[in-house]
Amino acid sequence: MRKPDIALVPSFQRTASRVAIRRAVNYQQDLPAVIYQTLRVFELPVKGKTVLLKPNLVGFDPLCEMNTHPYVIAATRESFLRLGAAQVLIGDGPAMDRDTEAIIESVRLREFTGPLGGIFVDLNLDDVKRVVLSTHASRLKELYLPKTALGVDFLVSMPKLKTHHWAGVTLSLKNMFGIVPGSCYGWPKNVLHWAGIDKSILDINAALRPDFAIVDGIVGMEGNGPIQGTPKPCGVLVLGDDPVAVDATCCRVMGLRPEKVKYLNAAGTLLGHVDAAKIQQLGETVASVRTPFAVLDEFKELREPEGGVWN
Amino acid sequence: MTPAGDSLDSQHLLSESAFAAKLCLPLIRSAQNADGGWGFQAGLQSRVEPTCWAILALRAHESTASSGEVPARGLEFLQKAQLANGSWPAAAEESSGSWVTVLACWVLAADAQAREAVAAGVKWICNDWPHDSATWRRWRARLFSHRNITEQNDSYRGWGWTPHTSSWVEPTSLALILLASTPVKLLPKGAARRRELARCMLYDRMCPGGGWNCGNPMVYGVAGEPLIVPTVWALLALRDEPKRPEFVMSLDWLERNIGNARGAASLALARIGMEAGGRKWPQGATTIAEMYSRNEFLQNIAVASWACLASCPRHEWLRGGVAESC
Repeated sequence: MRKPDIALVPSFQRTASRVAIRRAVNYQQDLPAVIYQTLRVFELPVKGKTVLLKPNLVGFDPLCEMNTHPYVIAATRESFLRLGAAQVLIGDGPAMDRDTEAIIESVRLREFTGPLGGIFVDLNLDDVKRVVLSTHASRLKELYLPKTALGVDFLVSMPKLKTHHWAGVTLSLKNMFGIVPGSCYGWPKNVLHWAGIDKSILDINAALRPDFAIVDGIVGMEGNGPIQGTPKPCGVLVLGDDPVAVDATCCRVMGLRPEKVKYLNAAGTLLGHVDAAKIQQLGETVASVRTPFAVLDEFKELREPEGGVWN
Repeated sequence: MTPAGDSLDSQHLLSESAFAAKLCLPLIRSAQNADGGWGFQAGLQSRVEPTCWAILALRAHESTASSGEVPARGLEFLQKAQLANGSWPAAAEESSGSWVTVLACWVLAADAQAREAVAAGVKWICNDWPHDSATWRRWRARLFSHRNITEQNDSYRGWGWTPHTSSWVEPTSLALILLASTPVKLLPKGAARRRELARCMLYDRMCPGGGWNCGNPMVYGVAGEPLIVPTVWALLALRDEPKRPEFVMSLDWLERNIGNARGAASLALARIGMEAGGRKWPQGATTIAEMYSRNEFLQNIAVASWACLASCPRHEWLRGGVAESC
């Protein structure tokens, strides 16, 4: 069982975070090897544990343009099993369509993972437990969250690298909207919009902070994401032990300023590191993989100034 | 459709009915919890939504007194789950009502002893106005909003998934189906106006080429993609105007997209929608049984129930009251 009290730590007390950027030009590469070798570096405490992979499965998507690619999911699952995890579950609660099976079949998840019985958990329909929100970033006082997500030993957020038409970017923190169950809050999970998307992201991640994040940036999405944007090849996987630091790094890879993303800037105070100086960069440098993503006009202030280059 | 086509359709329905009897009904029966309710999967806690679908499915397929014991225990669970304000919560621990109140009223309407409970539920539903379309909010949006994200008429009001949020296609459709089958004497004052506003909302939220998604037909000027599940519920809610162009266009969309159904939920509901719209099931379309072999419905009791309901001709269960047995 995870310890909920480690989620909130003032950034000045938090040790440096580690984020690895790995090149992966396409989905034909040996991703299990890339992911396994990278995870080994982090020496994660998963031996004998139950791990939940939380990909971003948002809709019917035969070309895998908006969802985390099933090969990345399967490769990660295989890697955690190789690292000694007793059980590696895959779970999500899609926000717009209650036919979860239709989504996972459209992306051919079963072809990559094998039969999904006993592996896949529809977080929209799982048993729920009341969680009192202690952060009060939004006006939400409590949420009913899936017992599977609350009960696992190790939680991995696995988003797609995308811009978002309401939040600016959707990465490992925003991906956690998917643990909020549709059976309680509907399709879409409209209470979160009413409570404020940015603020809800903070409350949810404070209640259930991912232990690790793996972002599928091999092909991302720019512009009017998370569904109607344009596919954007970026050729990277971004992995790290701090979801805030991973998201901040992804912003930099996308040519965006993480401090300008409202929820990410706020998350940098208590949930993880946004400051590049507090992030130990492994693998490739940001500058070497930087691929500017187009954003809607409403988010043009997120763009790095011309010539802005990260190390 | 030719007589041969009719025959094929009957055969298909027969095979779906046999599949429901052999596999779905036992799955549903065996998943009932000791408290009389059903969770979304066997072994999960009882919830109002799967309990309602399971009861509707069992009722539609079973008529003998002994088999009626199973749904009867489900009805008891539902009655106990009602909150003091007449609504039903989505999960046992929750203290506020939600859209599942519609389902509970729908199912309990067949039980004469539950009349008061249903009346209280229907009253709660009719008093539950979405907040997005409140007059002051629309006025404020016109005055201050610089982001014209969607193109929809917010003066039309339906129902949300949770109280005091926004109108969405599925809860609005389900509420309309309930109110259409509720005896007039159980309807509170103003119910007729709510129905009219909700119907307008559904037509307004239809996607440009027909069909519905959750309720966003256009976002930032880009047309939203319809989905099978909300399209079917909207069609069922609006089926008393079958010649209206929006209805025909949406039914056409559904018919064209049956082949794209990738989940058993979509396929079963598409079957119900096509039948209610008077269309024949396309020859060679994937069967629900074939769909089951892929993922066993992810063991979802609601989907197993929809598969049962899809195998029932005439769909009496949609009209409220006690259904005829298939």
